[in-house]
Amino acid sequence: MTDEQILSAHTLEEIAEWESRYPPEHKKSALLAALNAAQHQNKGFLTVALMDAVAEKLELSKIEVYEVASFYSMYELNPVGRNNIAVCTNVCCMLMGSDTIVDHLEKKLGIKMGESTEDGRIYLKVEEECLAACAGGPMMQVNHKYYTELTPEKVDEIIDGLD
Amino acid sequence: MSMRTVKHYIKSFLFLELIQGMMVTGKYLFKRKITLQYPEQKTPISPRFRGLHAQRRYANGEERCIACKLCEAVCPALAITIDVEERDDGTRRTSKYDIDLFKCIYCGFCEEACPVDAIVETDVFEYHFENRGENIMTKDKLLAVGDKYEDSIAANRAADAPYR
Amino acid sequence: MSDDQVTFTVDDVELSAPKGSMLIQATDKAGIHIPRFCYHDKLSVAANCRMCLVDVEKAPKPMPACATPIMEGMVVHTKSAKAVEAQKSVMEFLLINHPLDCPICDQGGECELQDLSVAYGGDKSQYTDIKRVVFDKDIGPLIQTELTRCIQCTRCVRFGEEIAGMRELGMTDRGDRAVIGTFIAKSVDSEMSGNVIDICPVGALTAKPSRFTGRAWEMQQHAAVSPHDSVGSNLYIHTLDGKVNRVVPRANESINEVWISDRDRFSYQGLYSDDRATRPMIKLKGEWVETDWNTALQYAIDGLQLVIKENSVNELACWISPNATLEEHYLTQKLIRGLGSNNIDHRLRQTDFTDQSFAPVMPWIGKDIESIERLEAILLVGSHVRKEQPLIAHRFRKAFRHHQVKISAVNPRKFKWRFKTSHELISSAEGMVENLAGIAKAVGADQANVSALISAASVDEGHKAIAEELTTAGEAATIFMGNIAAQHPQFSVLRALSHAIAKQTGATLAYLPEAANTAGAWLAGSVPHRFAGGSKANSTGANISEMLASPKKALITFNIEPEFDVANPAQAMDAMDAADFKIVINNYATEAMKEYADVILPLSAFSETSGTYVNAEGFWQSFKGAVSPLGESRPGWKIIRVLANLMKVDGFDYMSSEDVRNEVKEQCRELQLDNSISVDAPIANISKTDGLQRVGDVSLYSVDSLVRRSTPLQLTKDADHNHAAINSTLAAKLKLEDGDRVSITQSGHCELTDIRIDNALADDCVWLPAAEELSVQMGTTYSPIELEKA
Repeated sequence: MTDEQILSAHTLEEIAEWESRYPPEHKKSALLAALNAAQHQNKGFLTVALMDAVAEKLELSKIEVYEVASFYSMYELNPVGRNNIAVCTNVCCMLMGSDTIVDHLEKKLGIKMGESTEDGRIYLKVEEECLAACAGGPMMQVNHKYYTELTPEKVDEIIDGLD
Repeated sequence: MSMRTVKHYIKSFLFLELIQGMMVTGKYLFKRKITLQYPEQKTPISPRFRGLHAQRRYANGEERCIACKLCEAVCPALAITIDVEERDDGTRRTSKYDIDLFKCIYCGFCEEACPVDAIVETDVFEYHFENRGENIMTKDKLLAVGDKYEDSIAANRAADAPYR
Repeated sequence: MSDDQVTFTVDDVELSAPKGSMLIQATDKAGIHIPRFCYHDKLSVAANCRMCLVDVEKAPKPMPACATPIMEGMVVHTKSAKAVEAQKSVMEFLLINHPLDCPICDQGGECELQDLSVAYGGDKSQYTDIKRVVFDKDIGPLIQTELTRCIQCTRCVRFGEEIAGMRELGMTDRGDRAVIGTFIAKSVDSEMSGNVIDICPVGALTAKPSRFTGRAWEMQQHAAVSPHDSVGSNLYIHTLDGKVNRVVPRANESINEVWISDRDRFSYQGLYSDDRATRPMIKLKGEWVETDWNTALQYAIDGLQLVIKENSVNELACWISPNATLEEHYLTQKLIRGLGSNNIDHRLRQTDFTDQSFAPVMPWIGKDIESIERLEAILLVGSHVRKEQPLIAHRFRKAFRHHQVKISAVNPRKFKWRFKTSHELISSAEGMVENLAGIAKAVGADQANVSALISAASVDEGHKAIAEELTTAGEAATIFMGNIAAQHPQFSVLRALSHAIAKQTGATLAYLPEAANTAGAWLAGSVPHRFAGGSKANSTGANISEMLASPKKALITFNIEPEFDVANPAQAMDAMDAADFKIVINNYATEAMKEYADVILPLSAFSETSGTYVNAEGFWQSFKGAVSPLGESRPGWKIIRVLANLMKVDGFDYMSSEDVRNEVKEQCRELQLDNSISVDAPIANISKTDGLQRVGDVSLYSVDSLVRRSTPLQLTKDADHNHAAINSTLAAKLKLEDGDRVSITQSGHCELTDIRIDNALADDCVWLPAAEELSVQMGTTYSPIELEKA
């Protein structure tokens, strides 16, 4: 198994681009970006094979990559739906009624936080902390895109618009 | 003849001392009796009484002892011998737990040291040995004692608990 | 150097320490104790346990002593109210998730967390929730995990990265879910992995083989020395009820620092194997009977004397283990020579003896072990040092991490190292000679005995690069000849060439002695051509190779299993069959021994005898027995002494092993150690192998009878040798795929096995290590072999 087979040409290109931004002896610096690219390639979650390939590519030991990937909440290590929805439930959003949004989402999709819909379309991320958009609460992040000042109707519109 | 001699004579003739003695006897004749008819009758004993040793089990039948060897270490008379093994389910257990009752001084340190209340001293004190070797309380014997007296062991621990 | 010293005050005591050192280093030196979990003298600073918080004046918050550099005029209080409060709070935090299972924890009684919680902790916890539970991981047969106990100090992670050179353990997940582990199911495979057991401050990582066998307080500690490799690692043997219960390192900065290899740590598991010899045995009419020592010794002597009388004393031979103590070597050779024979050898795996009379008095590394760290260039000639002498390889790694020492190798296989090599020349046996000659030519060396070879050599880029490294480093370079070189069929040529290169470049020529007491064996005269102290013998006896070629009639084997320990097992077993009378002095009584032996005398193991080992730097280390001999086994020096007394050989009136050692020491007093070899030393002929050549080393867990019986070591990946390997070129030629069944034939013996494809090998080479079940009936390594698809 070589990394070429596992990581797509596009991912490799992206990793190479990030690598070029750091000194050659600090390839490790490109790890976060590389994992992002690998996760993207795999429709939203990382597998051990992908992480191993990244380790080989960046000349790191595998466990170093596992450490980073398991540390950050933005990496999913288990199969999840392809659209990643994270509703902020931290103080500001909570005061602005994020609980209603969560309830609405759970009811609409028929899943609980931390689960994916059966058709693999949507993943509700478990208890996301502050996403730094407190002025626009309640808010949620859908595939890295922020939606603020949510109402159940607005949520319906966003969800229905997803592929 | 001095006064002393005269007094002595009077006392002797009037049986004064005898009457005094009989009065003590008479007094106790009507007092509550404290002598017990052992073995039909027994004195009450403290829940802290330190008699024959026992090993206890949990309610589910699992033996408590985890072979930590603290009792072995604390025993001032070196009466306890323990061998450890890993049981098939991966737990730490004794493969041998012997208490030599000839060496034991019934100080109760083993009971104090035990982190899981496995080794205890019961209030049983009526036991004897007829053959050499019976003084060694093996694990099986200790567990058997524990099983037999579990109710009184548990009651005694409960009674003493507020003072510990 | 007062400029580099900084003066500061700790607890009203004025101290001074080198600039840049951390507070905890300075206080440790001054004997002021600061509690710590994550800080370790030999590891980098992590400062994540926070236990070492101290009160530094003018600092707003308590500072971690392990990560606070000392500064001029700094005033530190380690016992002020602020410091004590900080330590107490940290302790409470650490105990939040630590289970209360000390009674069943193997670390209980020697646990840093226990000690410090008694000394610095409170007696109550404010935490009332449920403690977390972490499921255990199976990380191999040596280390038991109990990760619920882990306090995330990351010492084991840093050990893996910095010392073992294998980052296998890591801390995954975050916050209160952070766990130490391998993340995926995987064993930790390092030859030094056992050290994490010692550095773990709690009972999260404990020794699997001695799990639940004893508590720290009931074991007795005895100093000992490793009986496996020539580092001579200092050990403590912990005994329980008269048996060895575990082995831990004894710190010795100049030898093993605070580490030991897994082989040293877990080999004791072989001590009480079922085939351990505990009573003397004699073979009467083909039946083995256990008997008493007197009868057995008398039987042995009668047998020996009969053979000697019927033939000549020249028919008496002795093969002795290089792991035997100095005393055993000395007395054995004294006995053999006292009887009139010179046929004794300990170089059991060596095959080339051409230049033996020119060999140094003893092979050694020519300097002390610590100085390896200061080398600038290293050339390994025939050495798998990482597995052969793990702690020497650790010094290489230290030098590499410190200043990127240039390490090159001339080897039959591209081994996996824990340091980066600059050049590795991989070839068959004769290719190694050519490569070395190429390097010699590139450095411009010329030497009488190898001049023809050098001038005929062709020089390529690799040779030039290695030559350049060695020349640049000059005296700071060393050429290490390892076990593979010593077992090489042209050892004399490798030696002559290495010497030529060393001389030309100014490098040191070093030998990594094969076994625990190879150096001591040479000093004690356990060779056919030299007496103790290296003086020339009256006449040269037969070396092991000659004793195999023309078998002797009476044979004494001392703690060896010829089928595993001799270079040519097939020939060795034939030689055993050819002998009329065989005395086996051994720790074990195997079925094979019962097949060939006439007498088996039970020998005490390394833990049961006193003795001396001479290590790679020529350091004499004496030790006492830790436990009494098992059963009726007896220390080797006593067995030989009594044998000699009964045979009326003079000069065996020793009262103790110290007497023997002092006698050897007396004979070695004038000794000048020098690894250089005469330029006129003869060299072996170079024979070219047609077809396939067998190459291989001896696996680290097969080197001697003790490790071969250590079950946990045999379960590791390092002990998995039930296969042969070839490179992909050869595989394509033979139309083989990875995992195919093949038949391997050598010396008329055929074995079926799996083939693995490994491009670390050179063309036309078949990797098949010696001393394995697969190879016990075959011939020597580095000789022709046949391989075909089965």
